[in-house]
Amino acid sequence: MTDIGNPLGLNPGPDAKLSEIVRAATPWSSKLRLSGGSVSDTVAAIFLVLLILVALFVDFIPGLVSPRLPYGDFSQLPDWSLNGLLGTDDIGRSIFSRVLYGARTSMMIVAISTTIALVAGLLLGMLAGYYRGYFERAVDLFANALAAMPSTLVVLAFVAVTGPSVITIIVVLGIFDIGTYARVAKAGVISQSNRDYVLAARAMGATDGRILLQEILPNLIPALTAVMPTLMAGLIITEGSLSFLGYGIPAPAPSWGGMIASSTDLLSRFPLLILGPVLAIVFTVYAFNTIGDYLAQRLNNRERES
Amino acid sequence: MNSVKPYAKAVSTRLIAGVLVFLLVTFSATALSSLAPGSAAQLILGDYATPEQIATLNATYGYDLPIWQRYLSWLGDLLRGDLGVTMFSQQPVLGVVLERAAVTFEIAFLAMAVSLLGVPLAMYTASHPNKLTDKVMRSVSTLLLAVPTFVIVVLFSYLFALVLRWLPATGWVKFTDNPLANLWYVALPVMCLSMHQTAYLYRVARNEFVTTLQEDYIAVARAKGLPLSYILFHHALRPAMPQIITVMGLSLTYMLAGSFVVESYFAVPGIGWTVLSAVKSHDIPLVQAILSLTVVIFVIVFMLVDLGYALIDPRVKVS
Repeated sequence: MTDIGNPLGLNPGPDAKLSEIVRAATPWSSKLRLSGGSVSDTVAAIFLVLLILVALFVDFIPGLVSPRLPYGDFSQLPDWSLNGLLGTDDIGRSIFSRVLYGARTSMMIVAISTTIALVAGLLLGMLAGYYRGYFERAVDLFANALAAMPSTLVVLAFVAVTGPSVITIIVVLGIFDIGTYARVAKAGVISQSNRDYVLAARAMGATDGRILLQEILPNLIPALTAVMPTLMAGLIITEGSLSFLGYGIPAPAPSWGGMIASSTDLLSRFPLLILGPVLAIVFTVYAFNTIGDYLAQRLNNRERES
Repeated sequence: MNSVKPYAKAVSTRLIAGVLVFLLVTFSATALSSLAPGSAAQLILGDYATPEQIATLNATYGYDLPIWQRYLSWLGDLLRGDLGVTMFSQQPVLGVVLERAAVTFEIAFLAMAVSLLGVPLAMYTASHPNKLTDKVMRSVSTLLLAVPTFVIVVLFSYLFALVLRWLPATGWVKFTDNPLANLWYVALPVMCLSMHQTAYLYRVARNEFVTTLQEDYIAVARAKGLPLSYILFHHALRPAMPQIITVMGLSLTYMLAGSFVVESYFAVPGIGWTVLSAVKSHDIPLVQAILSLTVVIFVIVFMLVDLGYALIDPRVKVS
């Protein structure tokens, strides 16, 4: 029943009808699934899409109050208005609004750090895998050095010298993921560079740059996207821990870690306050992990088939 | 004779790689203090320090020297086993770091021991796949992996210290002072640190066991009438060991990163707690020393993991 699509790009013949029949006969529950995935994979994917939409467009949600300003009396119990859905914190700010804006904070850090890591990791990894030699050893040394310490410790070391700042966190966390992306890219290039299509391109006189960027790079994308969600989940956890410890996102700005830290002081009397940010971070990490597992599984199947 | 040689070679190549990593990281750590706005001494002493005080401190810690010179003298100090004194309490840095490291290691070691529970659990569910326990355990482990340590810390201390009042919320008694009281205080931190690791180890081990149990030699063992527990421990465990060892080696990263949260929340005087207080007081030599110690430990553990593969599976070439 696996749908192999139309790999040769031929005109759909009479078989197209067959696939329509098959589609009509599939039960509705399997339509909800990503191909080859479970229902929870779909739920995770939908959650992540919503999360990204919230991060991008939270400013435009009608009626949502500012996350930095008090809006009502302190109450850990929800009321049934948009801003009161999760109650208000100790100085009367809407927890729902802070959770949504906290999503933007987390997603922004994830997006920028991952971009840094991906661009630098691809560059280093591809060059190391293609040219080997001393450059490869240097990249390996760099990746090993990054693997030999927890990123939290290095961020803290920077904070000790330069003081807490969002830019420090983004850059240090971005640099830390370079090692993993470089390793994946390097392994990919090494396994691809002796394939026939690369030899053919070379025989036709393609330059190294063309071979790397136009021939090999597209084939690295599946492996890179498979590790990406797991690394992103790691970024969210690390940023959350730093904010929880008080060295992450500076105070008035909303962050899930910071919200959890500030509600721990009131935990004995108002335990419900902590629910919003805790659920937000747990669901987010869960969704990233689930999609990561799903992509890794698909990649495995693909490699087994080829 | 021949069997010893490749190990010696493997150890030496990894040692060289490890030393390079150590030099790279410690050099970066030294260079770090040059990033301080103004000068490192200015940062440490604050805004009200006189220029003379700043100059004196820069001279004692060598912050006025070029980076490479400062680094060489730091390396020299390291070889003599003297990393100077901490900025505020004026205790020897090396002594402080080692004393605190012992606390962190006790917790990390106990948490790792607890997390080994994941292996027998995985054995059980892998040999009864798709039964209720298997499904429940899979959901529980997936959920646990999504809960960051700082959330576990908050929830557990709320449950066990505030609501149930079974365990102390904060505090510390040295193991050498009173072993029983020490275990009492260590229980919550160990539980918090081990949750994530148990779930991770469980997942990895379960997948390994499920694959292994489909092998022909397992079917043969079963056909011979060997009891399931014997097959699991004597036939299925060994092929899963490299994965289990990898996870345990990697867990060290997790344990150290988790120690910041756990130790600061439960007021445990270990490495994580020390780093946080050093960050607060800008005690740069102390942070530097801890960073260096961490790198040494990681390099050693990764080397042991690599060698562990070769010891378990003779087909793995040590090279």
